[in-house]
Amino acid sequence: MFENILLGFATAFTPINLAYCFLGVFLGTFIGVLPGLGSLAAISMLLPLTFYLEPTTALIMLGGIYYGGEYGGSIASILLNLPGTPSAAVTCLDGNPMAKQGRAGVALFITAVASFVGGSFGIVALMGFGPAIARLGLSFGPSDYFALMLLGLVAAVTVGGGSVIKGLIMVVLGLLLGTVGTDVTSGDFRYTFGFLELRDGVSLVGMAMGLFGVAEVVSSIRGAKTRRITEKVTARSMLPTREDMRKTFGPMARGSSIGGFLGALPGAGTVIAAFLAYATEVRLAKDKTRFGKGAIEGIAAPESANNAAAQTAFIPTLTIGIPGSATMSIMLGALMIHGITPGPLLITDHPTVFWGLIASFWIGNLFLLVLNIPLIGLWVRVLQFPYKYIYPVVIALICIGVFSMRTSVFDVSLVVIFGALGYLFQKAGYSPAPLILGFVLGPMLEENLRRGMLMARGDPMRLVSDPITGSILALSAILLIWSFVGGIRNLLATRRKATRPLGEA
Amino acid sequence: MKTVSLRLVVAALLAAIGLTAFIIGLNYDFGSARRMGPGYFPIVLSAALTLLALAECASAILKPDPTSADTLVWRPLIAILAAVAGFAVTIYLFGLIPAFFVVIGLSTLSERGYGWKPAVILSIITCIGAWLLFSQLLGMALPLFRLGF
Repeated sequence: MFENILLGFATAFTPINLAYCFLGVFLGTFIGVLPGLGSLAAISMLLPLTFYLEPTTALIMLGGIYYGGEYGGSIASILLNLPGTPSAAVTCLDGNPMAKQGRAGVALFITAVASFVGGSFGIVALMGFGPAIARLGLSFGPSDYFALMLLGLVAAVTVGGGSVIKGLIMVVLGLLLGTVGTDVTSGDFRYTFGFLELRDGVSLVGMAMGLFGVAEVVSSIRGAKTRRITEKVTARSMLPTREDMRKTFGPMARGSSIGGFLGALPGAGTVIAAFLAYATEVRLAKDKTRFGKGAIEGIAAPESANNAAAQTAFIPTLTIGIPGSATMSIMLGALMIHGITPGPLLITDHPTVFWGLIASFWIGNLFLLVLNIPLIGLWVRVLQFPYKYIYPVVIALICIGVFSMRTSVFDVSLVVIFGALGYLFQKAGYSPAPLILGFVLGPMLEENLRRGMLMARGDPMRLVSDPITGSILALSAILLIWSFVGGIRNLLATRRKATRPLGEA
Repeated sequence: MKTVSLRLVVAALLAAIGLTAFIIGLNYDFGSARRMGPGYFPIVLSAALTLLALAECASAILKPDPTSADTLVWRPLIAILAAVAGFAVTIYLFGLIPAFFVVIGLSTLSERGYGWKPAVILSIITCIGAWLLFSQLLGMALPLFRLGF
């Protein structure tokens, strides 16, 4: 255990890896600050850049982009009340009022500290539980994997809030898109329509860039004109008072534990972690009226929770190969592009990848903390930069990014199709995140189901009667039924204000 | 009223996608539950998609959702999609540098009165940046200029 951690730090501390970790954090924060673009868009845009790197270095950079993007989103929410990422929406609640009171600097500082504390907690959990869960994963058969993936998909739809039926539609559409290409078992082509390019399947990056990048840019063009930051944010104004620090210890500890636990569950993700941590603080507070008016606990708790969750989300992704969120499924896709198959064997087969990545997470979180204090002025300037000069370049970068993946014109035209679809989905209240999750899990789900059914001699009852498979399937069924009952109750009740999740989880 | 129809249109579109996939899927070997053919998964999924989308159609008619009051904004949508499509065509015919000018030029049509000067300046900056990053730093072999097919 201890040797492994040392190995990890030895890997992460090479100058190359440190440099790319820094670059990742920097670029991730930069893109995260831009309105409408979250960590998922950041990862898909920058994924092609990592192709030329060693797998470990590439992953370290992608990891940096990921939590850099999360932090960048918080900056935008605090200063502009415009959440760049959905998990940062919670930070808006108290972060923006603080900024209006002239305490934007303190809010940003607490965000950085809380992110670091939450992230560190998540990393320790990842180190502690990762190998154990991988050992557990080794004993799983195909049908257990099938059930687990199904649970992940069901949880992504039902736990996240929003319309269950729309979520299910997105998941099924994603699964269906995942069947495009060559069937692994028989070698037959499915839904290729004679296109050579489709034999390898639909390009994940092309699809993600269309659904998230293009669709988000299109819808933020109009709303982007009224952005003004009146507060001056300097490194000096970031210093919190002793009172501020004292008030944030408890919320950070509670937020980290909530986030760390929820992040590891499939489908739950950072958004729910942030909301739950916030709700917990409101419940525990003596004076509940302070929340929403700039209570510092209202930033510390959700920020530590979403960063802890961002780290523990790697547990299922790396150790059993089942991503819990759309962002994680892109990470999984990136791993596979680099020739590493995530799963129970990852830790033993590629110890430098696993432990190096974990060590770099910690270094990356440290970078975030250290970087953002001197660089805050730069981020504020990025935020104030007119959006009209940003989006054409973003679109150009999306194009070149997708094109350079396989030097394929076909993939760029996929961006057009999925961009149009993504915009329609967004306007009609669909969240494309479950679609991506379904797309990535689809082929694995099918393969494991086919193997499982072969082993069960075609009898579904034999699948269900297996203790592990059966109980996981039952859990999925309960989740589905529970949310449907809730949905019907909703329908019967008077029209309630529906919250619509946007972007990734 | 307008949003109800948008929800309905999207749900109907999804149902149409499901139905098309189902009909195409019928051509693939279905197999049996024990030995599933390449058609098993697509058939089941497209049937599920069609049914779910139809249910959503019904729900869009029966229960109008007052919260999603967004309407489509056509100008930026068409401009951005045209920009990406223009990039695809231009990079194929003429190479990367002209493609950047096309994608940025068309993107700027999203807003009225953008002007061609900022578009040209942005294109030049993007070209230089991309050239430095992709060609010099990463050593990718991208066709900067080319003619023909």
